[in-house]
Amino acid sequence: MDYNVYIPKLAKIIEIKEEVGGSRPIKSFRTHFINKNDFSHRCGQSAMISVLGKGESMISISSSPLVKDYLQFSILKMGRVTTALHEMQVGNVIGIRGPYGNGFPIEEWKGKNLVFIGGGIGLAPIWSVLNTALGKREDYGDLILIYGARTSKDLVFNDELKELKKKITVFLSVDVEEEGWKEFVGFVPQNVTDKKPSPKNSITVTCGPPIMIKFVIKALKDLGFEDEQIYTTVENKMKCGIGKCGRCNIGKHYVCKDGPVYSWAQLKNLPQEY
Amino acid sequence: MEKILTKKSFSKWVKKLESYKIYAPVKNDDLWNYEIIDIPESIQPDYPNTVLSPKKIIFPQREIFLEFKASNEEGLEVKEILPEERPAIIFGVRPCDARALTLTDNVFKGDFEDPYYWKRRNQTILIGLTCNIPPSFDCFCLSVGGSPHSKDGLDILMTDLEDKYYIESLTKKGNQLINLAKDCFEEPKVMDKKDLEKIQANSEIQIKRQIKDIKKIPKKLKGMFDTPFWDKESLSCIQCGICTYLCPTCHCFDINDEVASSAPLKGKRVRTWDNCQFPDFTMHSSGHNPRPDKASRLRQRILHKFQYFVELYENFQCVGCGRCISKCPVGIDIIEVLDKVRDYGL
Amino acid sequence: MVKVEDIKKEAKRILKEGKVKYIIGYKKSTNGLMSVPAFIESPEDVENLIWDPTCVYNLTRFLVDEKRRKAREKNPDERPVGIVVKGCDSRAIIVLLQEKFINRENIYVLGISCETTGVLDEKKLLKKLNGKKAEKVEYDEKDNFIITTLDGKSKVPADEILAERCLECRANFPVINDILFGEKVDRKLDNRFKSLEKIESLSKEKRWGFWKEQLDKCIRCYACRSVCPMCYCDECVVDTINFAVTADTTAEEKAQRIKWVEKSPTTSENFVYHFVRAIHLAGRCIDCGECERVCPMDIPLRFLNKKMEKEAKELFDYDAGFDPDQPSLVSCFKDEDPEDFIR
Repeated sequence: MDYNVYIPKLAKIIEIKEEVGGSRPIKSFRTHFINKNDFSHRCGQSAMISVLGKGESMISISSSPLVKDYLQFSILKMGRVTTALHEMQVGNVIGIRGPYGNGFPIEEWKGKNLVFIGGGIGLAPIWSVLNTALGKREDYGDLILIYGARTSKDLVFNDELKELKKKITVFLSVDVEEEGWKEFVGFVPQNVTDKKPSPKNSITVTCGPPIMIKFVIKALKDLGFEDEQIYTTVENKMKCGIGKCGRCNIGKHYVCKDGPVYSWAQLKNLPQEY
Repeated sequence: MEKILTKKSFSKWVKKLESYKIYAPVKNDDLWNYEIIDIPESIQPDYPNTVLSPKKIIFPQREIFLEFKASNEEGLEVKEILPEERPAIIFGVRPCDARALTLTDNVFKGDFEDPYYWKRRNQTILIGLTCNIPPSFDCFCLSVGGSPHSKDGLDILMTDLEDKYYIESLTKKGNQLINLAKDCFEEPKVMDKKDLEKIQANSEIQIKRQIKDIKKIPKKLKGMFDTPFWDKESLSCIQCGICTYLCPTCHCFDINDEVASSAPLKGKRVRTWDNCQFPDFTMHSSGHNPRPDKASRLRQRILHKFQYFVELYENFQCVGCGRCISKCPVGIDIIEVLDKVRDYGL
Repeated sequence: MVKVEDIKKEAKRILKEGKVKYIIGYKKSTNGLMSVPAFIESPEDVENLIWDPTCVYNLTRFLVDEKRRKAREKNPDERPVGIVVKGCDSRAIIVLLQEKFINRENIYVLGISCETTGVLDEKKLLKKLNGKKAEKVEYDEKDNFIITTLDGKSKVPADEILAERCLECRANFPVINDILFGEKVDRKLDNRFKSLEKIESLSKEKRWGFWKEQLDKCIRCYACRSVCPMCYCDECVVDTINFAVTADTTAEEKAQRIKWVEKSPTTSENFVYHFVRAIHLAGRCIDCGECERVCPMDIPLRFLNKKMEKEAKELFDYDAGFDPDQPSLVSCFKDEDPEDFIR
């Protein structure tokens, strides 16, 4: 055994972008490994990010595997490790181990329309798969993004979203009315019902807070989507990331290793422990 | 390889094993535990169960993963710390505890091998001792696929035949230990073999506790996730970590950074035991807890052992050592819980 | 000893009349001699109640669970909970009332006097029987226990297998009750801190050595904390994360939570854990001995708490758990207090 799964590889932060301010801030970090290595990820996979001295956090990789220059993580400030990350500067060193998890089965989705549904920071894992589909545009049918947040200030990747609108259909929403907002007002599931994406030859990918996911799935079912067409990601407390420390399981599945991506057909048969 | 070792020759053999780190059950006050010992003169065959199983040697409660410190060049330096390279022998391993390690092996192998566990596991030789009489009132190894003379996971099984031990060497490692002191051993006679069979058969009869129809339980549990059963069963649970920490098969852990100095940064990343009965085990940073009460946590313990583990590895994650029963502060009896599960709704 | 029939009769009555929502008492275990906590909801289940020298548990710990459960319920049953207490346990109720953790109207106390005896120490019994299994233990009303094993009956002087705390008991009679079982019997007690004498006589170095050896055994299962009715804090200093997190808790608050104690069971961390606990129990511990009883590693935790009890008595003439109206030791001061830093 010449490789130790628990030792993080050191990486330098090469760019930090403030996505969202306020009391629930989100920043995107682009990182570069200090030493060359064979790290390569699939869409929807995550990595264990270390702030040495503070601990580790499982964070989804928001950059596409097609991007080779850097890894990007978009991180909501939430606890000990993410607060430390938010205090970091360009040039600081973090640890990365992974990638972990199953990722989205995008090979199986070739030739299909993809409907992405995101809420808040939930756009991060979607961003990876969305950009991969854009990069291999000819492999997929229509691409639609339905995305919302509490307010317009809470939308991540704002600049990129403007660019994205030129390429694919994007429906944005905010939870409550605000001045100057011309798009949908209401929760993401309501926007889904309102925009009525077609289930025909489509796959949906939903990421966001658990309560949003629950109602999006209901909205999609009402629109005629089959359980197998609905994909989502599950989040649980993690420590090892490799299915050993025992805390992230739902039934026999370890979310870190066997998830985080599940079709509703799989997930609905698992215990509701997430 | 099968041999006879007289009790007189036992210490002679052990002396030849000097180069190994040797562990054996030791009594301190009224408590038995595995400790490093210099000369294990003799193993007492009638010692009751050790509080902790040899799990504490292969999967210690605290394992240093790495050291980190600030450095001028790259800003940070991370150094892997692996366990000391030193072959070890554990004497007097109960057959159930050895079986437990074969179950835990499943968890630590696979796509992501755990280098710390395997380093210790591979350099440790397990010498078992048949439980001529059950070491605890709560032994139920026969119900979960074990026995008081099970050989699973052992390198050598010793059986006490009063003035001598019957030695069954089960692996290459075991043979090597015997070959180190060939002159200490004798060939077993027909009578010895007969005595062995008698004692081992008798050891099974003495196991009084059992779980009937245990094969029905995994399937039964599958339909019991959302029942009020768990609320009722967990009423007296006080949410301590005894059942899991003492369990030879429980393997859950936490990883934390222990900082010796914050400027300049210096510290260690360590693994410690953790367990599913503590409320912070599954609590998200947001405060959301998917297992918010003791009912859901007791359910996790039972389901993990008797459903999920069976689904993953076709074996119960329990070896029937009885520690969780004997030491539960409020007398929660896993046999009783499983009996009720089996009969639930009937 | 009090007859269990008397307790059953009252239990049946209050359940039948709907006076209590359930009763916390003792029942027989499925794996041997000792009793286990019982939660009796219906008059029919009252038959399971027992009262004998194996009723060791301080059941007041379950009042903490009850309070938490009730707080989560949308329409909680407001009736009181019936609880069986011995003299020592009743003092825990006094402290919980004094600290306003529970309200008097939320409990219905079935107080039992231990009269001339007490409860067993299971470890002592096992030692006495040389590992043999006891089937039954009865009190002969003459300071002996009659122990039944497979080999027959034997008589053992009570002192030899009574729990340590019973040998130094100052409350064999419930301090608080709604109904009382048994008589008030005065018991002679020469020195209530006798068990401390040996350890107090040791030199500082030897005492350090003693505690280092003992606390190094700790595996941090937190059974001592979990079983203690006084360890009811929502967040304990030894936990590494916040438990009382709401939607309004900021990331900074969570990040700034100090890790006072690491999870590693090393000497320093174990000392901090046990000493913090001991100090937080000063003037609150009522010597139910549960922490020591449940410790799987046989750490003599009762010494720590007993010592604090002695300090409270000698420095402040304070006794915990006798008077619900007395201000609690660490939240009040008097002019005659020995230290003047507070004035």
